[in-house]
Amino acid sequence: MSYVGRPLARGEDERFLSGRARYLDDLHPDDLLHAAFARSLLAHARLGDLEVEAARAQPGVVAVLTAADLTDVLPPPVVEPPGMWVADAGHPILAASTARYAGEPIALVVAESRALAEDAAELVQPDYEPLQAVVDPRAAGEALTRWEKSGGDVDRAFAEADVVVARSFALPRLVAAPMETRGAIAQHDPDGGLLTVWLSFQDPHRPLDQLAHCLGRPPESIRVVLPDVGGAFGSKGAVGPEVVAVAAAALRLGRPVKWAEDRLENFLAAYQGRGLEADVELGVTRKGRLLGVRARLYADLGAYLISTTAIPMHTAAMLITGAYDIPAAEVAVVGARTNKVPTGPYRGAGRPEAAYLIERMVDEAARELGVDPVELRRRNLVRAFPHETPFGWTYDSGDYERCLDRAVELAELDRFRTEKRPGRRLGLGVGMLIERSGGNWESAVARREPDGRVVVRTGSSPHGQGHETTFAQIVADELGIEPTAVEILWGDTEAGPAGVGTFGSRSTAMGGSAVLEAARRLREEGGMEAAAVFESGLLFSSGCYAAVVEIDPETGVLEILRLAAVDDAGRIVNPLLAHGQVVGATAQGLGQALVEAVRHDESGQPLTISFVDYPLLTAWEMPELRSAFVETPSPLNPLGAKGVGEGGSIAAPVAIANAVVDALHGVSVDPPFTEAKLWEALR
Amino acid sequence: MKPPPFEYAAPHSLDEALALLAEHGDDAKVLAGGQSLVPLLNFRLTRPALLVDINRVEGLDGLERGRIGALVRTRRVEREAAQPLLRRAATFVGHPQIRARGTACGSVAHADPAAELPCALLALGAGVRLRSTRGERELLLDDFLVGPFSTALEPDELLLELEVPEQPAGTRVGFAEHSRIHGDFALAGAAVVARPDGLVVSLLAVAERPLRVDLPAEATADPGEAASLAVRDLEPGHRRALAEALVRRALEGAE
Repeated sequence: MSYVGRPLARGEDERFLSGRARYLDDLHPDDLLHAAFARSLLAHARLGDLEVEAARAQPGVVAVLTAADLTDVLPPPVVEPPGMWVADAGHPILAASTARYAGEPIALVVAESRALAEDAAELVQPDYEPLQAVVDPRAAGEALTRWEKSGGDVDRAFAEADVVVARSFALPRLVAAPMETRGAIAQHDPDGGLLTVWLSFQDPHRPLDQLAHCLGRPPESIRVVLPDVGGAFGSKGAVGPEVVAVAAAALRLGRPVKWAEDRLENFLAAYQGRGLEADVELGVTRKGRLLGVRARLYADLGAYLISTTAIPMHTAAMLITGAYDIPAAEVAVVGARTNKVPTGPYRGAGRPEAAYLIERMVDEAARELGVDPVELRRRNLVRAFPHETPFGWTYDSGDYERCLDRAVELAELDRFRTEKRPGRRLGLGVGMLIERSGGNWESAVARREPDGRVVVRTGSSPHGQGHETTFAQIVADELGIEPTAVEILWGDTEAGPAGVGTFGSRSTAMGGSAVLEAARRLREEGGMEAAAVFESGLLFSSGCYAAVVEIDPETGVLEILRLAAVDDAGRIVNPLLAHGQVVGATAQGLGQALVEAVRHDESGQPLTISFVDYPLLTAWEMPELRSAFVETPSPLNPLGAKGVGEGGSIAAPVAIANAVVDALHGVSVDPPFTEAKLWEALR
Repeated sequence: MKPPPFEYAAPHSLDEALALLAEHGDDAKVLAGGQSLVPLLNFRLTRPALLVDINRVEGLDGLERGRIGALVRTRRVEREAAQPLLRRAATFVGHPQIRARGTACGSVAHADPAAELPCALLALGAGVRLRSTRGERELLLDDFLVGPFSTALEPDELLLELEVPEQPAGTRVGFAEHSRIHGDFALAGAAVVARPDGLVVSLLAVAERPLRVDLPAEATADPGEAASLAVRDLEPGHRRALAEALVRRALEGAE
């Protein structure tokens, strides 16, 4: 009997639910010191002399470090997407002469307790000479990235189009808001020279490489260990300046140093997601054939580039043709430098932006042509696989029309369409999704223990996904043993094999396939231990979400009457956990659609610095979710699996958006769909 | 998000607490439930030199007909208050954990314009009893609430208890509010007290403090009309529209 495909409950939950999980702030090495940062109060200012003596004199303060103390430390390296021009604008570890966002670290205070460190950090204040702050990405004078790409005959496509629909959109910045905020503990062993860094992070290997670069140390002199991690959603995949500063402090002080980020810091200084404005044109024939899409994207990148800042807009641009067989496309991307904290990946990381743009445009085209938006989609979906997009990505497999049909059916769109009548602000919307997932490689080592158990070390690392359960299911099937006889170990660069990381919905397909191949080799070779590295091209999950909403014309309050989620993530290893991913991603997607938006005033001061200003949805606000899977296996890995972690955050916002605009009879609004915004749109 | 340094006193008697307030005045803050004060401390938005924790003071947790003592938690108001409007309004205050710690008197003294209990108490014509070493005084809530986070409380005074007048026989009460997220601060809300001799409407989050509007008893007959009268002095816009809908809803649900 096969375990893959069965909804096994998560083995790790007993540990989590009984409070036995150990997070970063639960670790207390002997002789531990605590860090707090003095941060810029202004969004853009020249910094005069830094007064640090008062802070140094505070009780319990061990050290106050400024940029002058860290001249040998480099900013984290920046990943450059293929073909993109990327400025040399890495994030300084501590601001030297200029601060470029409110919340930027200026000095690191190390003290015997976090409270004492905060008291002293307050006393570190530079002379600020205020400079003009750039808040609007369209008005920014400086670019951090530039990129243009064209595929197919774009000029011909637009020349042949009967109708060209042009619209502009804006997606606000979002915070990832993991329940556990960021954090690091660094400890230097002067004897062996090893620097051990415990991190609240998505995976151990990327931060190891980044720290080696920043600190100028050989990678083998650093060990990264991840305790249990309380969520990341993309926001713990690149080391921020704080982590580097803490590691540098531990090296200098010879005592372990902990930085446990608080919620205020997380709002101010953890990299944020989205933040994209766009002008999009879609060329269509009268008969409803989509011929070409052109888009100009303005990404609000913030003040600096962290390692992954450039990636989401690249993904957004590459996926601009969405689930459709559009033969020609052109994008121009400007990564605008603004006086805000940098952006980076947040659940979806470019995919929700792409889906929002193309799916809103398809609805706009349908409205213009007077055809049903579901029908217009049906006429243009990609049907033959592998499918190469005009930009050269290859969709591996899928059945997009089946996803569309199933979503329409689950949301009862046909029934609600007949209930639309004047006076009732009912709206119907669908949104297709393409979830680029997988790619690159992962590795695993499987070993038989004398007691019959099999221990599998994986380079892939969980932060809430349930690797211990799904990977055990895969190994159990391969070796004909119980999942409970499989132990999965991860998260320690000394103890485990190399890995790429946990991001972009790649763990099951890539990490899981590596685990599968290691187990297979163990079986076939009959030894005590076997290792495997699994490598593949990109995978493309797909799906369709559909929504029915109603707006109360008196108050502007939006009610979600139906929400359907259909995800095709290839073969599903554990339907229970996959469903959990759908529910979680949808909840975050709904948050984006309904309430979430980072706001700044015109001087660049962040106005959303707590959950009072930046609400997250709770269980109360979640509508009933009708979820189903279509399983089109991927030909690119032995499991046939693809990613499922982001679908809800990609398609739920635009399904809701299309339904809202439908209810508003075509008045265009962008998220979040607050009562006041919808009430105004109805006037 | 650690509070700035402060001294801490936990007196066991009211006299001791009042003596500390008299001695430290503006430099002291009273800690009861801490649901507003502690976040303000952690954001370092308030920097009292001394916290006077009154949780050990005997005799402040009385909840009788018409009286709510300084240590009565919102959760008890929700469950035990004689006045149904207070029980109903209390259910909208934050989450159960917040109601289990936060106090009704603390909410009134904090004077957040979006708070539910001051709004409901204002509609009921409630008063406050204030005590200091100088003596005791009573004020109508209408005179006590000055503006956002601002009251007539003197630095040496403790809000000792709330006084909730008995409503005439046949009075019906209702409460409605709308917040983006369950348990979040409301965007607008309304308490209504439909007495045989008049309709009192109190609105939250529409002005610098809860706004009381008195209407004739006949207005009750037409909730839509009453609602439009109740909000007529507000700036036109979404908040007024929302408040109007909530007054109507509160009135339609009044019992």
